[in-house]
Amino acid sequence: MKEHLAVVDLGYGDAGKGTIVDAICSTSSNIAAVIRFNGGAQAAHNVITEDGRHHTFAQFGSGTLRGVPTHLSRFMIVDPLALASEARSLGNPFHLLTVDADALLATPWHRAANRRREVERGAERHGSCGMGVGETQMYALKHPDAPRVADVLTPTRLTIKLRALADFYDMSDIPIDDVVDAFVAFGEAVRIVGTEHTDRLLAAGPCVFEGAQGVLLDEWRGWHPYTTWSTTTFDNIGELCPSFRRLGVVRTYTTRHGAGPFVTEAPDLDLPEAHNGRDDWQGAFRTGHFDAVAHRYAVEVAGGVDALAVTHLDAPARCPDLKICTAYRTEGEIWDRIEPGPHRDLAYQERLAGKLAKTEPATSHRPVDWKNAISELLGAPVEIESHGPRSSDKRIATLSK
Amino acid sequence: MGSGHWSTDVYTAAANYRAATGKSAFDYSDSGARHAHPDLDPNGVFMRESRDSSEHPFSTPIAVLFDVTGSMGNVPRVLQTKLPQLLGLLTRKNYAVDPQIMFGAIGDATCDRAPLQVGQFESDNRMDEHLSRIYLEGGGGGQKHESYELALYFMARHTIIDSMVNRGRRGYLFIIGDEMPYPRVKPREVQAVIGDTIKQPIPIEEILTELQRKYEVFYILPTAAGWGGDAEVLARWRGLLGQNVLELDDLDAVCETIALTVGLGEDAIDLDEGIADLEDLGSAAGSSVGRALAPLQRTSVVRDDQFQITAGPGGNQRL
Repeated sequence: MKEHLAVVDLGYGDAGKGTIVDAICSTSSNIAAVIRFNGGAQAAHNVITEDGRHHTFAQFGSGTLRGVPTHLSRFMIVDPLALASEARSLGNPFHLLTVDADALLATPWHRAANRRREVERGAERHGSCGMGVGETQMYALKHPDAPRVADVLTPTRLTIKLRALADFYDMSDIPIDDVVDAFVAFGEAVRIVGTEHTDRLLAAGPCVFEGAQGVLLDEWRGWHPYTTWSTTTFDNIGELCPSFRRLGVVRTYTTRHGAGPFVTEAPDLDLPEAHNGRDDWQGAFRTGHFDAVAHRYAVEVAGGVDALAVTHLDAPARCPDLKICTAYRTEGEIWDRIEPGPHRDLAYQERLAGKLAKTEPATSHRPVDWKNAISELLGAPVEIESHGPRSSDKRIATLSK
Repeated sequence: MGSGHWSTDVYTAAANYRAATGKSAFDYSDSGARHAHPDLDPNGVFMRESRDSSEHPFSTPIAVLFDVTGSMGNVPRVLQTKLPQLLGLLTRKNYAVDPQIMFGAIGDATCDRAPLQVGQFESDNRMDEHLSRIYLEGGGGGQKHESYELALYFMARHTIIDSMVNRGRRGYLFIIGDEMPYPRVKPREVQAVIGDTIKQPIPIEEILTELQRKYEVFYILPTAAGWGGDAEVLARWRGLLGQNVLELDDLDAVCETIALTVGLGEDAIDLDEGIADLEDLGSAAGSSVGRALAPLQRTSVVRDDQFQITAGPGGNQRL
């Protein structure tokens, strides 16, 4: 591989970014690092190697099993507690990890506040993961002195900041000293670096940017308020790196974890999910037909993609009812393009969500060649095909470009 | 969106970071340990449990205990690096529903500091941790005997498995070693290592009979080990376990051997299918596994009646 590569999910997440990143790392020997540029510990990227080793990546990059270093950029929400157990299950490969000093820290207070907020929403849940990622983001917007990774190097300052958090949320039952203790230990185990480290990595060799969630969940472009508090498009990468190839990941059917509009949802499709199930915070894992309309919107708001990775190409054969939806019907109106609103116009996104909630598929068909059909509908060549969960189930066309 | 499933417990996190920055968290032995890790010490343990839960409603207990004495040479280290793949192998091809795996180690109670180490039954990556904490003592008496009978005693009397309690189905116990058991479970050793008081020695045949009510017991003899292929050792174990003694010529194939044995036992596959699955997974272990499992090929291995899962997929897939 020569160019930097950005791997972004064009759907609601769960399309298989992790397995694609792993496959790329297993076939290219010169990758300098996998760089995480959004989200936090709520990511769940399942990787199964040829020999059956399975790991669900959350903060470590999905190239870790190939020995590729991970860098958590300043856009990440770093959760030291979740990182500890993930690291342990990987054999503590801290030598492969660097963390930007400027990244925000997710703490037990954020998590507790996130859960409290979701519980209060009752039936109107947003489908949060309950990890406090959005809460961390929200607190940081209001408080410029929110805890950041660099703070773990100065226990006194960290203590003051955590105390402020506890006061703000009015939560006194979380033991501050123990959290300080764990966070300081985190600072001793990981390599904390300045923002210039990203440039060093980019100069050292091609880097893979591994996204979390998907474009349709983007904080500004998703169906507000059923979004993640994170920029899931290529925008953050643009701020870190001047030039890169854009790889969009989709699966042959559309899925959504948690609440929110899902036009092509079809619960009767017989597509059992190996690694995604119901969970207490997000609710059921939802499945439906390939939503070409929404995915085209994702490509458009993401500023286009150079190539596609299509996963689950083995699914259509197993599911004869599976189709591709190319147009919507809303109260009699037929439409096949979701028009993007002005950037950062949440009122527009909310109206869109309202409309989508009343929308059903109008035109659907079942293509003979799924790969080419998706390629044509999204206007980009398919460079990686995935026919199964393991890295050996991937077919990579032309990454050498 | 994903779901963060990694533990966020503040105390475990702190402990792990410290362990990682300490001498060597990955290999308990290399950190200069001279005793069983507290998590693996059988002394005073009431029960190691393999439980059904809403997430893992049809638990299949699988215990793997390996001999860590000197005669095994490098075998325990290879096992320590290979065995973490076992869960993946079992779940990828659905050889067992909701497998829960326990690792342990066997030494010699007549002369070792850690003659028995036993982890917990785990259904996720936590089992790797137990494996990494096994203390590779490398001792042993050099008289072709190790304290296997003590391990059998522990497994018989100090494990409780819901597969048996709730469904009358036995678990699997694999012992990987290269020597013979002592003929009797000795009260003094049971007292010293496990903490139980028993009045008189228990002949190995007797404890084995007791154990086999709970577990299908296999003995794997790696031919790379010290007494590998030794006729006396083989004859002794064959006398005790019959066809369930497996000779393994390639240690790299240990996970595959265990996984396929379980798959055969669960009636999930026959041997040919299993070997085809291995090829499918890109594993080169097929021929070694085929040779090792040849004795199991002709007869139905473990179960007589097939168990039907009607309540959807097992929770382990959510790993």
